[in-house]
Amino acid sequence: MRKNLIAAMLAFICVLSSPALAQEKIRAIATFSILGDFVKNVGGDRVAVTTLVGPNGDAHVYAPTPADARALADAKVVFVNGLGLEGWMTRLVKSSGSKALSIVASSSVKPRRSADEHGHDADPHAWQSVANAKIYVANIRDGLIAADPAGKAVYEANAASYLGKLDALEAEVREAIAKIPADRRRIITTHDAFGYFGAAYGMEFIAPQGVSTESEASAKDVARIINQIRKQKIPAVFLENISDERLIQRIAVETGARIGGKLFSDALSDEKGPAPTYIDMMRNNIREFSIALQS
Amino acid sequence: MLYETLIAPFVEFEFMRRALVGVCALAVGAGPIGVFLMLRRMSLVGDAMAHAILPGAAIGFLVSGLSLVAMSTGGMIAGFVIALLAGLVARTTELKEDASLAVFFLISLAIGVTIVSLRGTNIDLLHFLFGSVLALDDHTLLLMAASAVLTLFVLALIYRPLVIECVDPGYLRSVSRLGTPVHLIFLALVVINLVSGFQALGTLLAVGIMMVPAAIGRFWARDITPMIAIAVAGGMISGYAGLVLSYQTGIPSGPAVILFAGILYALSLAFGTAGGLLRKLFPGRHLEA
Amino acid sequence: MTAQLRFNNVTLGYDRHPAVHHLDGAVASGALIAVVGPNGAGKSTLFKGVVGALKPLAGSIGLSGVDSREIAYLPQVAEIDRTFPINVYDMVAMGLWRQCGLFGGIGRGQRQAIERALETVGLTGFESRAIGTLSGGQLQRMLFARLLLQDARLIVLDEPFNAIDTKTCSDLLDLIRHWHGEQRTVLAALHDIEIVKAHFPETLLLAREKVAWGDTGKVLTPENLAKARRMCEAFDEEATACAA
Repeated sequence: MRKNLIAAMLAFICVLSSPALAQEKIRAIATFSILGDFVKNVGGDRVAVTTLVGPNGDAHVYAPTPADARALADAKVVFVNGLGLEGWMTRLVKSSGSKALSIVASSSVKPRRSADEHGHDADPHAWQSVANAKIYVANIRDGLIAADPAGKAVYEANAASYLGKLDALEAEVREAIAKIPADRRRIITTHDAFGYFGAAYGMEFIAPQGVSTESEASAKDVARIINQIRKQKIPAVFLENISDERLIQRIAVETGARIGGKLFSDALSDEKGPAPTYIDMMRNNIREFSIALQS
Repeated sequence: MLYETLIAPFVEFEFMRRALVGVCALAVGAGPIGVFLMLRRMSLVGDAMAHAILPGAAIGFLVSGLSLVAMSTGGMIAGFVIALLAGLVARTTELKEDASLAVFFLISLAIGVTIVSLRGTNIDLLHFLFGSVLALDDHTLLLMAASAVLTLFVLALIYRPLVIECVDPGYLRSVSRLGTPVHLIFLALVVINLVSGFQALGTLLAVGIMMVPAAIGRFWARDITPMIAIAVAGGMISGYAGLVLSYQTGIPSGPAVILFAGILYALSLAFGTAGGLLRKLFPGRHLEA
Repeated sequence: MTAQLRFNNVTLGYDRHPAVHHLDGAVASGALIAVVGPNGAGKSTLFKGVVGALKPLAGSIGLSGVDSREIAYLPQVAEIDRTFPINVYDMVAMGLWRQCGLFGGIGRGQRQAIERALETVGLTGFESRAIGTLSGGQLQRMLFARLLLQDARLIVLDEPFNAIDTKTCSDLLDLIRHWHGEQRTVLAALHDIEIVKAHFPETLLLAREKVAWGDTGKVLTPENLAKARRMCEAFDEEATACAA
C-alpha cells in the first residue's frame, strides 16, 4: 500500500514537472541574422534564439556589448559561422564565462580561398551556396539535439521540412541562372561575399577597380572602372554603396552597363525589407541578377 | 607618349570630355568676376559667399536629394539673400563688407554641413564640399554653360559703370544713380557663378576658380582687359591640366584643378612681368627717359 | 540775374550738429565765386549739399537750369583707388558719361575732345600711363581734364590747388578763367587769400554761418577775416535744439 502511494506521488510529481520542463525554451545564441534564421527554422517552438548581429548589421566588424555577454552566459548553445567571420567571438565567449555548447555551423563545409581585404585566408560566406546552407542546417540540428536530447524528434522533423524547402530553393536558383544567357553571367559588385554563389551556380563576380566607398573617386579611378567594364564586357554594375548616383549613371551611360538594385549578402533585412529570411534573401538576389542581366 | 598623356583621356572617355567642357565654361564666367572681386578687395567676401550658398543647397538636398534644380535653387536663394544683405549693409552704413559678416558666413558653413549630414552620407558631404566634376550630366552642363553666357552678357552691359564704381565711386555717385544697382547686379553674378562652380568643384573650392586665375592675371597685365583674358586662359588651362593630373595620378579631380591653378599662381608670382618677384629683384638697367 | 543756385536758409551737418548754419543767398548764373573760411568752416559740407551728397538738416538748396547729376564736382579728397589697372585716357574718358552712358560709342568727335582736354591740362603723352604712377599734381590735372569733358554748366571745386606746384596752379587758374568766359558758373573753396583776391571777383566768407558775401574786395577785409577766425571750430556736445 505504501509502495503504491510513493509510486503514485512520484508519478504525480513527474507529471507535474514535465509540462514545466516542456515550457522552458532552450536558450540559443546565433551570431548573426542568417544563422539566426536557420536556428529558428530548426528549433521551432522549443528554442528561444537571440541574434547578436541583427538585420542589416556587419558581422565582420561587430563590437559586442555587455548585454551580449550576459545573453551568452545564460545560453545553452551557441551557433557561430566559423571560417573566420566572427573574430570577436572567442574573446566574448571567454569573458562571458559561458558554459554553453559551441557549434560551428560551417564545419565540414569545403572552404574557398578568400579574395577579400579582411585578411582572412578562407572566405566565410559559405551560406551563399544553398548546398552549404543545407550542411549548416544539418549541423544546427545535430547541435540542438546534443544540447537538448529531449527534443530530438522535433528537431529532426523541423530540419527535414526546412531542408525540403532549401531543395526547392536550389532548384529555383539554378532555373533563374539558366535563364540568363551564358555570356552575360558576370557583374561588378563591391561585395566580396558571392564567391560561393559564383562557384556553385556559374556566375562571375568581379570587384570594381578603384572606386571605393570611402574616398573621392579620381578621374583615374573612373577611367579604370570604365575600361574594366568595357574590356570584360560586363553587363551590369551593382554599386549601391557608392552614393553618388550621378557618377554611377555616368559610368553606366558611357559603358552601356545596367545599374543593378540592392543585394543582400552578409545580413538579412528587417521585417519590412525584401530579405527578412534566408530564402527571401536568395530570391531577392537572383531576382536582381535576372533583371539586370536580361538581354 | 605626349598624346597618350594629354589627349587620349579625352578622346577615350566621355566623362572626361564633359568635365573639360564644364570647367572651361566655369573659367569663362568666373574669370572676369574674379578679377573684379580681386580689384574691389572683395576676395574674402567671395569666399564667404561661397560658404553662404551651402545651407541653401543643403536644404535643397534635404528636400529632393541630389537634384540639380533643388540644390541650385536653394543655393541661389541663399546667395542672393546674403549678397543683398552684404551690399546694402556696405552701402548704407560705415561697415565694410568683410567685417561682421565673416562670422555669419562661418556659421552658415557649419549649418550647411550639419544639414547635409542629417540626410546624407560622408560621400554626399564630400561632394558638397569638393564637387563632382566627373559626374556632370546634361542638365548640369547646360546650367554651367548658361551661367557663363549670362555672365558675359551682363558684364558687357554693366562694364563701364562697374569699372567706374571700382576706381572712383564718388564720381559715379555724382553723375549717375546706377551705383547701387550695378553693385547688386555684380553680387548677383558672383552668386550665379558660385552656384555653377559649386556643382563641379564644391563649396570650398568653387571660389578658387574665381580667385586664383584672377591673381594669376594680376602678375601679367597692367590693364584690366588683358588681365581678364589671362584669368580666363589661366582658368581653362588649370581645368585641363587638373583633369589630366587626376587621370594620370589618381588624385581627386576638383582639388587637382585648383592645385594646378595654384602652381600657375606660384609661377606667376615668381616670373610675372607685372610685379613678379624676379622683376622686382632684378629690374635690369633703367631706361633713358 | 538768373539764379543758378539758391540757398534757402539751409543748415547742413552731421549727427544733428550743424556744420553750415542757416545759410541764405543766391548764386547767379555764370558767377565765379570763391568760398573762403578757416578749417572746419563748412566749405566741404556746403559743396556736398550742393551736389546732393548730403541732405540738409533744415532749409533747402534750389537748383535751376541744371540737374544735380549735371554738376561737375571735384571733391577735396578723391576716393580714387590708385592701384586699379586703368590708364589716364580711360579715366579722363569717364567725363563723357552723361553723353555716352552705358553703351554710347566713343566716336571721332569724342576722341578729339579727350585729346583736347588732355592738351589743355598739359597731359599729352600720358594717355597710357597707369593712374597709380602719377604725381599729385598730375592726378589733379587729370581730374580737371575729366571735368572739362563733363561740359557742365555748374562746376564745384573743393580745394583744387592743395599740394599743387605753382606752374600747375597758374595753368588751372587759366582754365577756370576760361570757364568763366564761357558763362559757366564756378564755385571754388580756397585757402590762399592772395589767389582769391587776384582771380575771383566774388567771395563768400564762411565760418559756419555767413560772415560776408559779395565783391571780393568788400568781403575780404581784416575785420571780416578776424570775425571768421573767432568762429568756434568744434561741435558743442551740450548744445540745445536751435530755435531759429
